[in-house]
Amino acid sequence: MQPDLSSYVALSAVMFFIGVSGVIVRRNPLIVLMSIELMLNAANLALVAFARAWVNNAGHVFVFLVVTVAAAEAAIGLAIVVAVFRSAKNVDVDEVARLRG
Amino acid sequence: MTSLLEQLWLLPLLSAIVLWTFGPQLKRASGALGSASVLASFVVAVVLYPSATGPVPLHLALGTWGPGFTFGLQLDPLSLLWTFIITGVGGLIHVYSIGYMWSDKAIARFFAYMNFFVFAMLTLVLSDNVVGLLIGWGLVGLASYFLIGFWFYKPSAVAAAKKAFVINVFGDVGIMFAVFALYAATGSIAFADIFAKAGTLPVGVLIAVCVGLFVGAAAKSAQVPLQTWLPDAMEGPTPVSALIHAATMVTAGVYLVARFAPLYSLSPTAQELVAVVGATTMVLGAILGVGQWDIKRILAYSTMSQIGYMIMGVGVGAYQAGVLHFFTHAFFKAQLFLGAGLIIHALHDEQDVRKMGGLRERMPFAFWAMLIGTLAIIGFPLTSGFYSKDAVIYGALEHGHPWLYVAGVLTAGITAYYMFRMLFVTFFGPYRGGVPNERLAMPPAAVTHAEAEGHDSHAPDWVMQLPVAILIVPTIAAGYASVSFGGPSPWSRFFGTLFGTSYNVAGPILPVPEWASSIFVLLLVAAGIVIAYLRYGTPAAQAGAIERLRAEAVRMPPALVHAFWFDDAIEAAIVHPAQALGVAISRFVDPHVIDAGVRDVVWIAGALGVIFRKLQTGLVRGYALTIVIGAALFIAYFATLGASR
Repeated sequence: MQPDLSSYVALSAVMFFIGVSGVIVRRNPLIVLMSIELMLNAANLALVAFARAWVNNAGHVFVFLVVTVAAAEAAIGLAIVVAVFRSAKNVDVDEVARLRG
Repeated sequence: MTSLLEQLWLLPLLSAIVLWTFGPQLKRASGALGSASVLASFVVAVVLYPSATGPVPLHLALGTWGPGFTFGLQLDPLSLLWTFIITGVGGLIHVYSIGYMWSDKAIARFFAYMNFFVFAMLTLVLSDNVVGLLIGWGLVGLASYFLIGFWFYKPSAVAAAKKAFVINVFGDVGIMFAVFALYAATGSIAFADIFAKAGTLPVGVLIAVCVGLFVGAAAKSAQVPLQTWLPDAMEGPTPVSALIHAATMVTAGVYLVARFAPLYSLSPTAQELVAVVGATTMVLGAILGVGQWDIKRILAYSTMSQIGYMIMGVGVGAYQAGVLHFFTHAFFKAQLFLGAGLIIHALHDEQDVRKMGGLRERMPFAFWAMLIGTLAIIGFPLTSGFYSKDAVIYGALEHGHPWLYVAGVLTAGITAYYMFRMLFVTFFGPYRGGVPNERLAMPPAAVTHAEAEGHDSHAPDWVMQLPVAILIVPTIAAGYASVSFGGPSPWSRFFGTLFGTSYNVAGPILPVPEWASSIFVLLLVAAGIVIAYLRYGTPAAQAGAIERLRAEAVRMPPALVHAFWFDDAIEAAIVHPAQALGVAISRFVDPHVIDAGVRDVVWIAGALGVIFRKLQTGLVRGYALTIVIGAALFIAYFATLGASR
């Protein structure tokens, strides 16, 4: 039996909150980036599920867009992490707070 | 034909642009290019002579900008006359400048400015509407600013340029208001439309327009009390003085009044004003010319005085006479300035006549050129000035102004005196170049530009002498155009009905016939020459020249030294109040109104910053939490909204 729409959305919500809590509680930027990926993919899952349920291809197209953006974001994010590490000798996101007012 | 008119107008501008762009590459070739463009314009003007003097003047539409704003060029006899002088005499001055500016590094810039000046002047005289005329008027002021301040490393030149510009802009404003009034009253800016409706204008508007225009004319033509920039403008190179004085700028006021003859003829009040101001300038200029030591300033005051004649001529309604004096003056004044330039150039920028003397043997060509120019300017019989000056002086009587007539006659005598004074002091007696300044009551010598830069090379002499030699012909002969052997003279035929019939009125029987008036003038001229001879020309006077000049310099009346205190009066009446106002504004309005307002804005921004700075913790995870909470609230809001529906 095929799972119904609400199962997909529930799974997506769970993945999303795992991602959010990862971003909020973890201090290692690599983990934070991974958590962001998790949030993006949770959104992807929801999009695909809705697209199938309502037979609308726009959702699929959005997923491709999100995947592309995620790849770019990961690349830039990692580059930033490297750059921050070089200048601060530290990758703890709490310690990198030079913009504090 | 109309396309030729456009070329006549634009050739000098084109050349100016080329010189501005490629000046460093062209170097001395720029002189040839600059002169060629102006002379080419002159040739075009000659070609256009038949069509311009035909029954319908040559006209070229340029474009329209809103109702009533139709721009175009027109070439009628009056414009044509000015075009001839601007491009003809102007072209000769350009050729002369090749020699004069030979060793100046910025020769390309010089010719670019000169060409631009010619273009500006052509815009002024070729426009068929008041706005185009005003544009040309303003451009002439700008060009004069460039040229008077050409040696911008001399503070005095910069100050003179600024003064000329400011006074000229004052005149521009007068013309601008006249243009506003004309447009409001007639709904058009074209001369043809304005003059067609001239008779229907209310008297008040007419007077306002005429006075506004004359403010502009007085500023540009150095009429009292706006004359103070003219002697200072001698700071420019001598060819510039020749261009400004003979061919272009200062005669623009005469053009303006002559151009608006249909309006002035309807307003005797305005005519009276113009004539009286012209006569005052004429007398004052001549008196001040008596007390000058700088050869160029003598000529500057003589220009002022001669322009006074012209303005008086067009003011009393003797338009053809006034314009004739412009025509002849262009030649002999160019002659005099270029002759003076020969001397100044040969003496390495010495301009004080006290340091000259005895130059007749050293520079015979300059002497003869200056002598012929002097004879013309004092109205010696059979020279050009004789015909034009007599026409103006007698015109004043003809049009019912006996007092102006007397002033004109007296000024002719004074003119003869100061011109011959200059001639005797410059060319006769011992050469005083080596005499120390103190012995001549002169300020101590400063290192001049010429000594500092050195004259390593010279243009051939004929480059500077040829234009002067060519000018001798019209200096003598230009006045013959007005000689009539029964019937109208060639001069009045040239203008046809341009000035209406105002010149040809059979006035009341005059107390003095014209030939008697001429003799009267000549007697005074002769008296002026004799006095100048007795004071400076006799062998005894020549021998004791140093002591005499020293004594004269020491005893010079303060009124002459200070030019009747016009500068001081303007300083006291306008400059100082304006400065005081500026100081007051900078002391009170600036700190307490403008700065205070700016400071308040800054303070508010700073206070807000202090509050909102607290939010910038720098803690990325904190930001993320804020976003999550915000998103949660957002979703919760819409969820409850959906539930409540």
